[in-house]
Amino acid sequence: MVVAVLLSRFELVIAAGGRAALARGPAALAPEPGREQCVGEVSSSAEGFGIHKGMRLGEALARCPSLALIPPDPVGVADAWEKVIARLESVGAAVESDAPGLAFFDAASLARLHGGTPPPPPARADGNVVPFPGRAAAGSAPPWLGGVVSAVRAALRLPARIGAGPSRFCALAGAVKARSRRAEVVDGARGLASEPVALLRRRPEAAQVVEPLIRLGVTTLGQLAAMSRASLADRFGRVGELAHDLARGHDTELRPRVPGEVLEEMLELPESASGVQLERALVLLVDQLLARRERRGRTLRAVVLGARLVEGGTWRERVVFREPLSDATRMRLALGQKLILMPAPAEALRLAVERFGPSAAGAHALFDDGSAVRTGRMREAIRQARAVAGPEAALRVLTVDPDSRVPERQAVLAPYEL
Amino acid sequence: MTGPRRINVPLPATVRADARGRPLAIDGRAVEAVRESWLVEDRWWTDAPLRRRYWEVVTTRGDLVVLFRELDQAGGWYRQR
Repeated sequence: MVVAVLLSRFELVIAAGGRAALARGPAALAPEPGREQCVGEVSSSAEGFGIHKGMRLGEALARCPSLALIPPDPVGVADAWEKVIARLESVGAAVESDAPGLAFFDAASLARLHGGTPPPPPARADGNVVPFPGRAAAGSAPPWLGGVVSAVRAALRLPARIGAGPSRFCALAGAVKARSRRAEVVDGARGLASEPVALLRRRPEAAQVVEPLIRLGVTTLGQLAAMSRASLADRFGRVGELAHDLARGHDTELRPRVPGEVLEEMLELPESASGVQLERALVLLVDQLLARRERRGRTLRAVVLGARLVEGGTWRERVVFREPLSDATRMRLALGQKLILMPAPAEALRLAVERFGPSAAGAHALFDDGSAVRTGRMREAIRQARAVAGPEAALRVLTVDPDSRVPERQAVLAPYEL
Repeated sequence: MTGPRRINVPLPATVRADARGRPLAIDGRAVEAVRESWLVEDRWWTDAPLRRRYWEVVTTRGDLVVLFRELDQAGGWYRQR
């Protein structure tokens, strides 16, 4: 049994600074600078004007001239969502979440912990689709589910909508129609039959079939499930097959994330920085991150580069390295390419580790001229010095803004990294 | 280390100056010559603007010292190098 936790308009609420701000009038998330000019999440009053997420900005403003555009805050959203995920994981859930505001986990594994005896696992078919034929009338829940939901609500301390079902999509359908204090169970294809086909918009992979289906007169998932799979594949390709699977209550397996530790460095930039100053700040951040004791010699697999922008809002870019590395120079090369994408000068720059790699990455020099050995000895010396005297044992002078007329802004002491 | 540590951070200094603001002695050491003076006005677009009158002087001991006086309401002399 999969449980879906839905915090509706999560990104909008965080960017607006709370739900109270949304009560003032129709509001929507403004397009991110440099991205496609479409509005993000919209408030309920904006929905009343026919505006929805993904609508072109011009059309949204034409429908509602008083629409308040709220600058997106991807960094703040990521931080807030990470806290929500951590709360879910605190009850023992293995959480899958691809987008802020929506998380899934398998409740059966928590049944013994919070609710009683778990059910037998369902039989799996070939491939990655888990079939769950409708077992009972919609709304019937296993007896242990209430305990799990109560534990989740107590941990979240947020007005979340919770749905459950035999697959991810069924759980999502339950969460969408659930009220804030009562979980809704959608039990397979039978429970989905009366749901609107627009629910497929919640799955980005299948969203493109919604408009054509509605134009063809297919308005409910029940009608979609009754169609021939072959004809859907013929009309829409792989996406049509996926939509058919979802409508019949099938879905791919959950892929929960591995709970990670938070390791990040942040640098306040006294003057709005861009260009060369930003690159120097990045050098400093990379060195500081690599010098952290908590890294324990591990390589970095994926990092998140974020910034608070001068003109308001934030910017966030995820960078997955081609191979796990702890080489400051290569990290700077990879991250420097992303700095170019920043849409405005930054007030603060942040670098966080999203995933660690193995401790010893197998990166060897092509030609051995002895420098690698010397560098290795130097690194070991720095490591030992830091172990004895702390992180400030090996520092270097880093020129941050050599042309500044204020001397204390020209250079800083940064960790010495090779 | 929680963040980068700045170097060349201003340190408070005891300065005796004439009526025009020209330094005559710094930390009890007489000023032999004033090499240069300049005005820095920065961050005027923020809530914390910065206005300083800088002096580069040579003391009777031969030290080259850069000092400045805050020109805002707080005032005060600082040496920077």
